[in-house]
Amino acid sequence: MAHQAHAYHMVDPSPWPLTGATAALLMTSGLAIWFHFHSLLLLYLGLTLLLLTMIQWWRDIIREGTFQGHHTPPVQKGLRYGMILFITSEVFFFLGFFWAFYHSSLAPTPELGGCWPPTGINPLDPFKVPLLNTAVLLASGVTVTWAHHSLMEGNRKEAIQALTLTIILGVYFTSLQAMEYYEAPFTIADGVYGATFYVATGFHGLHVIIGSTFLAVCLMRQIQYHFTSEHHFGFEAAAWYWHFVDVVWLFLYVSIYWWGS
Amino acid sequence: MMAEDIQAKLKNYKTAPFDARFPNQNQTRNCFQNYLGMNIMWLLPVSTSWQRSPDYSKPDFHRCTKVLTAKGADTTPCEWFRRVYKSLCPISWINKWNDQLEEGTFPGKI
Repeated sequence: MAHQAHAYHMVDPSPWPLTGATAALLMTSGLAIWFHFHSLLLLYLGLTLLLLTMIQWWRDIIREGTFQGHHTPPVQKGLRYGMILFITSEVFFFLGFFWAFYHSSLAPTPELGGCWPPTGINPLDPFKVPLLNTAVLLASGVTVTWAHHSLMEGNRKEAIQALTLTIILGVYFTSLQAMEYYEAPFTIADGVYGATFYVATGFHGLHVIIGSTFLAVCLMRQIQYHFTSEHHFGFEAAAWYWHFVDVVWLFLYVSIYWWGS
Repeated sequence: MMAEDIQAKLKNYKTAPFDARFPNQNQTRNCFQNYLGMNIMWLLPVSTSWQRSPDYSKPDFHRCTKVLTAKGADTTPCEWFRRVYKSLCPISWINKWNDQLEEGTFPGKI
């Protein structure tokens, strides 16, 4: 019986890439079917399959790394590169929406009244809830760093506390933003102002939810003793993602909420 | 002396001159700014006369000159703006904006 003579991880065959691709197909065609024929079935099927794929794929990675020891230092290095590249791609994703915003707001057309905010738009006061949201996310950046240090020092209790606090702050941000969306005097259909505002802040909010979920998974893993003080890359990846979300908000706040008002 | 200069400029007017504020190919802002200028000009001496007048929403060049004359101010700025935007702007835009001004739906800050 041959043994592995290298430090890398040759992954066992897995069905999840296929189910993930199938989910992508079902979601895209499901979206088109919903647009034209008013049925949500295909879309729901796709979303369900996506959820199952994510749960099982990442569960398998945890099994391979934490329980079977396949995540040697070189393997971890690869995972780090992967997370950094992914976050970089997300930066470019948001860059596009910032481009759209600045394109329309730096040279407002006569149809808008030649001014920004356009005539008829009453923007949100940047020094009210948006400022609170900024404070909430900045604080959550501090708590997640506190959690990391606790983790590295082997302080289990404080790591759990700090991580929990981070998640609570994330949920607080999401609920404040949801309330703002509900109460705002303008909608996504209100010209280019509404479009740029809700698409940019909306995708950001989605990323806050994703980041909070990632952190919550880390919390569950920490409680179940998955992490050691030396090896906790899942947590580091979640923390990087969370800082990225925070930075995107800072740009959103300064550009759209503050300068754009 | 300024007035004579402007009168001379108006007399020799052929088309909108180069305006360094709008150096690029897209002259939309040049057109819009002069249209606004034309319509702000007669509103500027805001005090009384235009507010009492029946339909002050009309960008009336004649009203512009009348109002400025009544104030004893130089009326040539009105004519200059009018010449420039007439030279630069597509006629359909001018008509659309005039209609909007009448309806009260013109989005520009007058």
